[in-house]
Amino acid sequence: MMNISEKAKKTIDSCRFCWMCRHVCPIGNATGQERNTARARALGSSLVARGAEEIKVIAANVYECALCGACTNNCVTGWDPKTFIIEERREIILENAAPEYIKALLKKYFETGNIYGKKADGIPETAYGGGEEILFVAGTDAVVNAPENAVNALALIKKAGERVSFIKNQDSGAALYFLTGKTRETEEAAKRFAEDIKGYKKIVFYDPTDLALVSHEYKEWGIEISGNAVSFNEYLLYLTESGKLKPKKSGKRYSLQDNYAYARDLDDAETGRKLIEKVGENKDMLLCGKEANFAGSLIMNEYMPEVMKKVAENRWRDAINSDCETLVTESPSEYVMLKKTEPEGKRVITVEEMLAENL
Amino acid sequence: MNDFLFTQVLTELEDAVGRENCSTSEIDKVTHSVDYFWLSRMWADRGRRMPEADFVVSPKDARETSKVMKIANYYKIPVTTWGGGGGTQGGAIPVAGGILLDTKRMCEIYEINEEGMYIECGAGAIYKHVEWAANERGYCTMHYPSSLTCSTVGGFLAHRGIGVVSTKYGKIDDMVLKMEVVLPNGDIIETSPAPKHAAGPDLNQIFIGSEGTLGVITKAQMRIYDQPETRRFRGFLFKDLSSAFKASREILQKFKPSVMRLYDEAETASLIKKIVGVERKGAFMNVAYEGVKELVDVEEKILLSTFKKYGAEDLGSEYGEKWWKEKITFFYPGHMMDLPQMFGTMDTIAPYDKIEKIYRAMKEAIETNFPQAKFIAHFSHWYEWGCMVYDRFIIDGKDVPEDPREAMRLHNAIWNLGVRTAIANGGVVNDHHGVGIKLGRLMKEQYGPAMQVFEGIKKSLDPNGIMNPFKLGL
Ligand SMILES: Cc1cc2nc3c(=O)[nH]c(=O)nc-3n(C[C@H](O)[C@H](O)[C@H](O)COP(=O)(O)OP(=O)(O)OC[C@H]3O[C@@H](n4cnc5c(N)ncnc54)[C@H](O)[C@@H]3O)c2cc1C
Ligand code: SF4
Ligand code: SF4
Repeated sequence: MMNISEKAKKTIDSCRFCWMCRHVCPIGNATGQERNTARARALGSSLVARGAEEIKVIAANVYECALCGACTNNCVTGWDPKTFIIEERREIILENAAPEYIKALLKKYFETGNIYGKKADGIPETAYGGGEEILFVAGTDAVVNAPENAVNALALIKKAGERVSFIKNQDSGAALYFLTGKTRETEEAAKRFAEDIKGYKKIVFYDPTDLALVSHEYKEWGIEISGNAVSFNEYLLYLTESGKLKPKKSGKRYSLQDNYAYARDLDDAETGRKLIEKVGENKDMLLCGKEANFAGSLIMNEYMPEVMKKVAENRWRDAINSDCETLVTESPSEYVMLKKTEPEGKRVITVEEMLAENL
Repeated sequence: MNDFLFTQVLTELEDAVGRENCSTSEIDKVTHSVDYFWLSRMWADRGRRMPEADFVVSPKDARETSKVMKIANYYKIPVTTWGGGGGTQGGAIPVAGGILLDTKRMCEIYEINEEGMYIECGAGAIYKHVEWAANERGYCTMHYPSSLTCSTVGGFLAHRGIGVVSTKYGKIDDMVLKMEVVLPNGDIIETSPAPKHAAGPDLNQIFIGSEGTLGVITKAQMRIYDQPETRRFRGFLFKDLSSAFKASREILQKFKPSVMRLYDEAETASLIKKIVGVERKGAFMNVAYEGVKELVDVEEKILLSTFKKYGAEDLGSEYGEKWWKEKITFFYPGHMMDLPQMFGTMDTIAPYDKIEKIYRAMKEAIETNFPQAKFIAHFSHWYEWGCMVYDRFIIDGKDVPEDPREAMRLHNAIWNLGVRTAIANGGVVNDHHGVGIKLGRLMKEQYGPAMQVFEGIKKSLDPNGIMNPFKLGL
């Protein structure tokens, strides 16, 4: 039996016989596997809850969800399969039923400080401006997997004449939360991070997933942060609107790869578009804003790389069908995955690259 | 099957579709054991396990499907095809075990042919994805069932599905140009290059509605349409069903609306209350007409004058527009009937001279013999000659036996009575949900000796009886 909340149980019982959101699941669309739908995840869970199945049977499938919230957004009745999936991850960990590849990622985390087991020294401290009021948090994914993006972002900030500070701890707890739900270790990581970012007036989050965690889960867990948390997009908009950055308008066409944490979790699908309009023409794909397909996760790329590749390729297909030339990303994860799968004649750039090339 | 032979078959299947697309894991077996069929859901709800497949395979195209079929045919292993599992008749449940063939990897959009006005796609494509592909080029598919987002092209073809604008644009069998099918012996065949011909019987129509009992549909060319310039709605209140039938039959001799939904007096009472705030007696009807604006203007005039002749009160367009926007909302949990209730849709079809009689006979039979059941109906999908009745029974959870076997007994008794009453009064076993395991036993009652035509085709194409056993009465 699983020790999950009433809300999670109710969600399971609503989703288990419902087929309505299968078309939006980026994982199901990539694998074609029936188990990768909200209803199948819920059906398995309901059988576990009724004692007809063991939790280890559903464990691998529980980790095949990206927590992207496309199903939640699609659900007319407001059910949120993420609720039970994240609680189940905690149960799976507590029961020691996680697949070996998940255990291996956690082992790396506890040994090296990140699940990738890589050195987190890609961004030199000199890239920061050394200010005392504004903190720039690149986040683990960028520091470890896309440091050049964060360096570009910091260079743009410098160009605007702003000075931002650096702290060593870049781990909001987002990866642990993704893999283990709300465990003691996740909470501890969150508390550590909240402590380390104390004293700054403004905290600029480069990775939307970190900002979403701080804005929602931290609040729920009673962890307070002292400064004003803003997204990197919002910060860039402030820099352009205050005249600190003066990008020029060109006739170029850009399409935004809406990050789900911005568009769905933080309800902000607008800022990225406003930034595009500062420099060119915004050309939306058919599935955009809250409806956007997600384009890949670096964490999942560690244990299901083929599927992540397909997820990114599917998003490129959406882009091509909608006649997009340049895709503009808002998160390091999606940038890396789209870059890896970039088709000939198409281009993916980050939002800061877009601004920089139009200064 | 012994462990040795099982492993032998497994390695052959892995060789056919790739190891990652061939599964014997519990989770894959469980998720393919419950479809939208009420009985399978009830069984799982009671904490019981439904029959499961031994192997779950996902071929990516006809070639891989053919390899799977050859293995199955040689070892005489049952094959059940699964599209979206959104069928209501238990058609995709692997009741005999064996191989479950999931089509969803066959989801490629191969071609959007704007000259020929069709999309060629894999049969495992979710229909909503085909619609999106059409939308990206400014077209649409005009196949809008409530399960647009859940079910596949192959599933709709295999069950002869239907969408809400069918009166103008047709059923799925009117929307397909050509199909690729893998036969039980592994041969890959194509139906004729165009659907309307005199080169013998139409091969398409042999496989459409065959519910995976004759082969696996792997590819199809589905029609696309221009987006209508305008789509308008109009609600009407008729004093009774009979006058609504007369008016509708007359309209259909003149032009084809896209949506026509006529609600019986019971459903109208609650519906009209919802729309205009007062309870009114009569039969409510919602009509949509669409296309090129000039034509739609003329159609509107004809509609209003014809319906007026039959005493219909014009209720304006508000309800229709709201219904269009929310037409699939009704199917989400919380809006839709759900367990512990027992429910079922006994849709049937008949010419105008019989349809009202069928409806009244079914209503009386169910309400008299099963007083615990509520019976509601509407009529949609209209033709020049007749229409479909979508009648439903609903039983409150407190009146549904807790023992799953007793629940099944009650469920099947209601279905037997309802469908037999439809057949006795000139209806057919089903209109657009298919037969599956739910209604297989009633096929012979409807067709009598004509059933041997189906049985003959089945025997010659599938002599080992491997394709979807115990479905469609075959
Ligand atoms: C919420 C909801 C609303 C619905 N509303 C409608 C509606 O408005 N109109 C309507 O017509 N139906 C409706 N249905 C029923 C369902 O969508 C249809 O019956 C649909 O045809 C099933 O398609 P599927 O892909 O889900 O097929 P499945 O359930 O997987 O399979 C159905 C049958 O087809 C066979 N099959 C599947 N794919 C193939 C193939 N490629 N080749 C050969 N055989 C195959 C299976 O073996 C099985 O016998 C609804 C269902 C749901 C869940
Ligand atoms: S999230 Fe909503 S649409 Fe998706 S399965 Fe659950 S109830 Fe159905
Ligand atoms: S959260 Fe995303 S990946 Fe997970 S089931 Fe929903 S749509 Fe699929």
